[in-house]
Amino acid sequence: MAELHIIGQIVGASGFPQNSLFCKWGIHTGGAWRLLSGLKEGQTQVDIPQTGDMAYWSHPIDLHYTTKGLQGWPKLHLQVWHQDSLGHSQLFGYGFCHVPSSPGQHHISCVTWRPLGSWQEQLTQMFVGGGPQLRNPDLIYSGADRYRLHTAAMGTVELELGVIMKHFDKHGVET
Amino acid sequence: MEEPEGSDEDPGERLRRTFRAQREKSKKIRDVEGISSIQQHSADDGRTEQTDESVVPSKSGKLSQKGLSSRKHPSATSQHLDDSVTRRLEAKLREAISKVEEEQKDAPLEPASRLQSLRDRDAAIRFDREVDADRVERQDVPADLSTRVKFREAARKVIKVHPNAEEAYTFFTHNFEPDPLDESEKMSRKKKKTQRTSEEEGDGEDGEEEVKEGDHDIESESEQAPLVQNEDEDLFVLDQLPEDVLVVKKAEYVGYKQRVARESELLFTPSSQPVPTSCKLPENMKPRYLEDEGLYVGERPPVSWTNERIMENRLLQMAEGMKWFGDDGRTLALPNPIKESSTRPPLQHIEGDLDPALQTVFRKLVMSKNANLYVTGAADPEGDYQLDVDVSGLIFSHHPLFSREHVLGARLAQLYDQYLSRQHNNLTEHLTDKLRGLRRALQNMLEIHGERDLTPPMQQRISEYSLEVRNTRQLRDNEQEKDRTLLKQLVKVWKEVKTLRELQRFTNTPYKLFLRRENVDRAADEQEHEGEILTEIVELQAESEEDYQRKLAEYKKQLEQWKLWRRKQKAKRKKRKKKKKGQSHDDTDEDEEEQEMSESESPTEEGPSKPEAPERPDFRSTEEWVREKASRIRRKPGEAILIPDLTASGNITATALCPRTEVARREDVSKRSLFIKILYNDKEVSRTDSRALNADFRVHFGQIFNLKIVNCPQSINLQVFEQIGLSSSLLAQVFVPVPQPTVVTGNAPLEEFEFSSNQRVMFDHEGVGSDVPLSFDADGSNKVTLLTSGKVSCCVSWGNGEDGAPLAPPVSQHLVRKHGGLGHLDAVTYLGASGLYDMKKIAEWAKQSRLDPNDPKNASIMQLLKVASSGEVTTPEYFRLEHLQEEFNFVTDEEIEKNKRFRLLRLREQGVPEFRNYKFVPAHENGISNEVFKDYEKRLKEEQIIDAKEYLDTHRALVAKNLQKIRESVIHRFLHAKRNYHVSDLVVEEEIPSIRFLGIELFKWAQPRRPLKPQRKERKKVTAQNLSDGDIKLLVNIIRAYEVPVRRPQSNKAAQSSQAAIQGSDWYLSQAQLRPFVEVSFQRTVLQTSSAEGPNPCWNEELQLPFRAPNGDYSTANLQAVKDEVFINIFDEVVHKSGESDKDRGQSFHASVEKHWLGSVKIPFSTIYSQSKIDGTFKVNTPAVLLGYNSERRHAPSGAYDILLSQSEGTFLTLFITIEPQLVPGESLRDKIKEVKFDSMQFDSQEDEGLLQASDRFESEATQNFPDRPCITTVVDLSGKTVFITRYIQALNPPPELLEVSTQEPAALIARYVSLIPFLPDRVSYTGACGLWSTCDQFLSFLAGDEEEHAVLLCNYFLSMGKKAWLIIGTAIPEGPTAYVLTLEQSRYLIWNPSSGQSYSQYDTFCPLQTIGCLVNASNVWFNVQQYTSPTRISFDTTKAKLWKQFFSRAFCHPGLSSVQPETLMYRRGDKAAAAELQDRIEKILKEKIMEWRPRRPTRWNRYCTTTLKHFLPKLEQSRGADVTEGHRHQLQSQLGDNKISGFPLNLPFSGIQPIIEAVYSTGVHHIQAPSAEFALAVYVHPYPNNVLSVWVYLASLIRS
Repeated sequence: MAELHIIGQIVGASGFPQNSLFCKWGIHTGGAWRLLSGLKEGQTQVDIPQTGDMAYWSHPIDLHYTTKGLQGWPKLHLQVWHQDSLGHSQLFGYGFCHVPSSPGQHHISCVTWRPLGSWQEQLTQMFVGGGPQLRNPDLIYSGADRYRLHTAAMGTVELELGVIMKHFDKHGVET
Repeated sequence: MEEPEGSDEDPGERLRRTFRAQREKSKKIRDVEGISSIQQHSADDGRTEQTDESVVPSKSGKLSQKGLSSRKHPSATSQHLDDSVTRRLEAKLREAISKVEEEQKDAPLEPASRLQSLRDRDAAIRFDREVDADRVERQDVPADLSTRVKFREAARKVIKVHPNAEEAYTFFTHNFEPDPLDESEKMSRKKKKTQRTSEEEGDGEDGEEEVKEGDHDIESESEQAPLVQNEDEDLFVLDQLPEDVLVVKKAEYVGYKQRVARESELLFTPSSQPVPTSCKLPENMKPRYLEDEGLYVGERPPVSWTNERIMENRLLQMAEGMKWFGDDGRTLALPNPIKESSTRPPLQHIEGDLDPALQTVFRKLVMSKNANLYVTGAADPEGDYQLDVDVSGLIFSHHPLFSREHVLGARLAQLYDQYLSRQHNNLTEHLTDKLRGLRRALQNMLEIHGERDLTPPMQQRISEYSLEVRNTRQLRDNEQEKDRTLLKQLVKVWKEVKTLRELQRFTNTPYKLFLRRENVDRAADEQEHEGEILTEIVELQAESEEDYQRKLAEYKKQLEQWKLWRRKQKAKRKKRKKKKKGQSHDDTDEDEEEQEMSESESPTEEGPSKPEAPERPDFRSTEEWVREKASRIRRKPGEAILIPDLTASGNITATALCPRTEVARREDVSKRSLFIKILYNDKEVSRTDSRALNADFRVHFGQIFNLKIVNCPQSINLQVFEQIGLSSSLLAQVFVPVPQPTVVTGNAPLEEFEFSSNQRVMFDHEGVGSDVPLSFDADGSNKVTLLTSGKVSCCVSWGNGEDGAPLAPPVSQHLVRKHGGLGHLDAVTYLGASGLYDMKKIAEWAKQSRLDPNDPKNASIMQLLKVASSGEVTTPEYFRLEHLQEEFNFVTDEEIEKNKRFRLLRLREQGVPEFRNYKFVPAHENGISNEVFKDYEKRLKEEQIIDAKEYLDTHRALVAKNLQKIRESVIHRFLHAKRNYHVSDLVVEEEIPSIRFLGIELFKWAQPRRPLKPQRKERKKVTAQNLSDGDIKLLVNIIRAYEVPVRRPQSNKAAQSSQAAIQGSDWYLSQAQLRPFVEVSFQRTVLQTSSAEGPNPCWNEELQLPFRAPNGDYSTANLQAVKDEVFINIFDEVVHKSGESDKDRGQSFHASVEKHWLGSVKIPFSTIYSQSKIDGTFKVNTPAVLLGYNSERRHAPSGAYDILLSQSEGTFLTLFITIEPQLVPGESLRDKIKEVKFDSMQFDSQEDEGLLQASDRFESEATQNFPDRPCITTVVDLSGKTVFITRYIQALNPPPELLEVSTQEPAALIARYVSLIPFLPDRVSYTGACGLWSTCDQFLSFLAGDEEEHAVLLCNYFLSMGKKAWLIIGTAIPEGPTAYVLTLEQSRYLIWNPSSGQSYSQYDTFCPLQTIGCLVNASNVWFNVQQYTSPTRISFDTTKAKLWKQFFSRAFCHPGLSSVQPETLMYRRGDKAAAAELQDRIEKILKEKIMEWRPRRPTRWNRYCTTTLKHFLPKLEQSRGADVTEGHRHQLQSQLGDNKISGFPLNLPFSGIQPIIEAVYSTGVHHIQAPSAEFALAVYVHPYPNNVLSVWVYLASLIRS
């Protein structure tokens, strides 16, 4: 009965065109995984940095999973949003990363992207904001057919994840 | 500088070495000096200044040239110097040097170094490499310093040898120029001089000279170089004039031709001439063209011919150059890699066939407020969801303005509709077909198998079939009957319409009914009819026969049994008879035995009676019955089929021709118009236009409203309003279900929703009105009452987006609503919409509900099931990637489920109460015992089972259960409200002091100091989250007590003289005997003050009690739910001198200290928490009788204070209690609910919106002006709805039993009755601080409630007794915000505390009520706007608007709110037997407990005393604890003689056994340690109506003296 602790934080994001950002995050696992405790999705506050490009959230993540198999190892998916001074929010990027599969402290930079849309949409976005979003946000972590999307690279989200594994070795998983 | 003397090496060599060393040194020095040159600058004399000036501008050009030549060339070219020249020079130089060396001894170094440094600086600018080298050298400065130091020392030595001051003085002016040198040197000098002059003169030199100089060949320059270098040394040593030091050189330039020539030696330039093919191929090879041979050769990348040729030429020059050429003589090349078309497809191209999952949506900017309303996390954050509400029209099936004809017409239309729908379904036909089919199948089966014995499954099927036939026939008959009656009714109503029209002589409705006849073939029809009847008869006969057979079989079986039993019985009897005969000698015994026998036999004999044989079925009657039925429900054979046809083509009589009443009615109709409000989630979102009501009572709106929604749809409500003139009234409400996400505009049909209203409307014209009995018969019988009703046809569906996608939220967000009842037959409701995709479930359901495969309604499902069951779905035809997933699993699901650790973790996560703050979960499963779950599992099990043990009374247990359930549902309701966070909930922000505040602060400095008037400072509040055990302390400051009962002198003769003794002069003596102290117990911590003396003791002590929150959870919600109470008990400390020991008489004695309980005050922690401090004088709850103590007033009032005291009897205690540090009391949920109420209307209300707004205004105004006065106008009832407070006040009948007892004042008795209902604060029961008000019947059935409920009930009782009574909303100590009752009795006001039953006069100082916020009665709410709040200082005259602000005034009158209370209350009489039983049980339990609390000592019970006490208790109940003590005491005293008795009765309302035990424990009677002590305990339970019980416990201890 292997157990996995994911303890860490979403440190912040940098490299986005604007820096007053917030982030919605969630963890997706396969069917073999059971959440024992912790929140598996959430949203950070809006950070409006006074100096520097990086928005810091330091949003805690603390999850405890148990699993009956390795399939569907937890993935962290993120949506970075920008909130402007009027309180409007728009999507700035999607990103995902696997939770590291080795125990210990990990620093992860998760790069993000954003769908581009047609030139009309880009033009609209330039002037009035908004922007194309995925109809189906599952696409962030399920990679089928993604090659057809046209995307623009956005910034990076920094994560610090500590992974503690328990009893994986008992089931023949070397850690 | 110091050369090793006397070395006889080769002088040239030596010289060179010296040179080199010197050069190195000078360089180093130069570097060092360079650093310090700036400081030295000012020290330089004018000469050098000049030079400096001359040098600085000429930094460019020559100097650098010179630097270059002087530094580069020597090293590079010195090797090439001509020997002869060198030698010559060397000889000359040696001379010069020796001279120089001499001179140098006293030569200061500055100028040289200065110049050097300048040059150096110059070099640093010009030549990077040099600079680098310099830099490297600079790093060695320490080493250089040492050399420098050496040098200086050497110089000093030399100076000592030649101390020539004059030379030193003239050092700078002296010309050190040596004697003429040889030619070459001269030349160079000359040249130098010219250069110098030119330099000195500035930039005067012209380019020509430069060119000339440049024309010097390299050799001459190189020859020059060492000289210059030499000069360097000379400079250093001799410090010549700048002209001598500097060399001006022209820019070095190599002519172009020269350079080309030079370069051409080194470089190779490939020509761009074409290369003959022969050169490119190996010899004797002909070029071979692969293309010509038919092989594919890729297209070469385009390269220009010139470039290619150049490349070829170059390659040919290379070694192995040939390998670059191919067979065709050209360079090898790969095909052109550049594709003509772009590999990335253009954007527009793809969009059309993009996978829908990949499509992106362009979203506009989202306001964050809406974004998170739906979900957090990954799911679609917001959507343009749109609900289309299509309100097409309205048809009244009854309207108050209907005329009689309309009523009938509507009925006719309704029946016709019914008829049409029946016709459409054609159930009869369908059932007949089915019946036929079944019969055929049955017949077939029987025929095929014939008479042969059937297999059991066959038989089973046959019997199933016949059962089916039977059922179907029944159904068909029903349907046919319905058809028939419908038709009959239709005709009947039509006839009524016709007669009515004739009677009133005008027509109001356009309805006309035609009956079409359809003739049938008589013979065939008859035959069919007959055949039908016959088959039915046969079947019935078969059935009855079967039935008979079965019954017969059963009968036989029973008979068999009976016979068997009979035989046994007989045998028994015989046996007995024999026995009897044997024992005949003892008659009495025999008789008894016989009697017993007969007794024992009689019941058995009654056992199985003889069964009766079933009757044989009568076939004839069956036939008759069938025929009769057929004639009743079926059309007669040969009779024409009647088809009704309703048209609305009739004429309506013109208004002019109608009678006056009808005209009035029609006018009224035309005045009215209707509109519909659309309410989404109980908020009005839009309304239709107002349309006039037509004569046919149909209104067509035909409007579609597109609702863009952001909130989850909870309800869609259409309100039908009727408008007359300008005023409009709500007619009815129609709730439209929220559509499934699949229901999209376009595919949603219009639906009709019925509505009705129970408004009573009457007219004086033809209109029949609503809710008015109405009869169509002439005699007025057969009255019907019609209510306004009708149908709204409308359609609610999800809108379509621009791209056709439904604008509906995903399914998961819909609340899954459970439908009861109907579910079984409706597949969708049964399974839920999502379940429709689960074939298995559908199949299961189909099987379960015995779907008829032939029913056209079920065709689609059947089709689906067929496909599903044919197996295509079950065998997958696809490859599954996770095929072997099972094999890879570590464990199974069950194992994970079973794991205790995981279970514990999950339960903790879910916040199950038992595990909410479970701190440490063991790391291994075996560390968890099964015990952990026991409580939890037990609780789960007990949800149903009622534990009667703890409550001693099943009714109470039931109520407790019920309360629990209500509590859960309410909590659920409030969870929503709780989740509604505000910034202030999450962020604590110190308020920025305003200017005004600052001003006041400043002003305070100037204020005079008044140290003798200390004021309480506001303490800082602590949020509860970062607290831990031990941080919080409860501070109890006990100040003083008044009128504590005094000890009665314990003398043997006290019995007769007690009264006299006390009234005598020695009452001081008795007073001195009292040593009271206070003991405070809280959460098992017991602290006590020191003991004081006398009946009015003053302690002034502070006790600190630690507080521990349950589970270590210091959250606000948890703290609010803390049920612990602070017990403050007053004891008397009695010291017994229990005998002196004989040995040392007079020196030591043994004394035992006893404490006697005198009274207690109980304050719940929740009160302290919510009020943060409690300060005041409390009445001590003293027992009615205190044995051995004297509580009555001992002397006549003498002082003013005594006069005050005399108004209220009893003991008082002054206390101050607070929590340290101060905790932030939880925000009451009520505020939140209010916010939520306006946010999403979650806590809806039946009240009018205007009223609610008015009440909000009233309350906010009140709190603004008088923040410390509680004001309540609306309250939340048990279902979470907001109710206006006056609705709670209504006269209610008190229990009749209480009124029957006329001996006492009934009001007091009733107050006592109310106070006996147990008290349960809402704050504790509903974790959020939220006062829920239950109605009186709810309160009486729960038998628990807080102050408000008690007060409401008491107030209602008083009202019914004809008193003027009000509800007081105010604050009291210790309860905090509370409700009291005010009554007006004979021009004086009485204030009643409902939870204690006490009444106080208005001017009573010790009345616990401190603040009066508002008064409430059934008609109005008055808010106190007087200056004072204390009841003694205000006037209760509510008619004065200056003193009392009323809610309903002339401007806003009372809308006639009906009461939420029931009209009367039902009471059950008190159950004496149950009370007696309870009494015994309580007594037993208490005795056990007391013995348990005294584990080390024997507890003896004095039976005699107990019985005495027991007799006494009912009397106490009767007098409600009033003074009956004297006689009682005398009685006890006389009976128990020498014993010292101390004891008291306790009176408690009964809510459970636990509080009683607590109360007994807190008195500390069990602490008596005296060995001879005996105890007495008596319990009396007095039943009041409705199971309200008053429990008396009499405790006494006796010590033999």
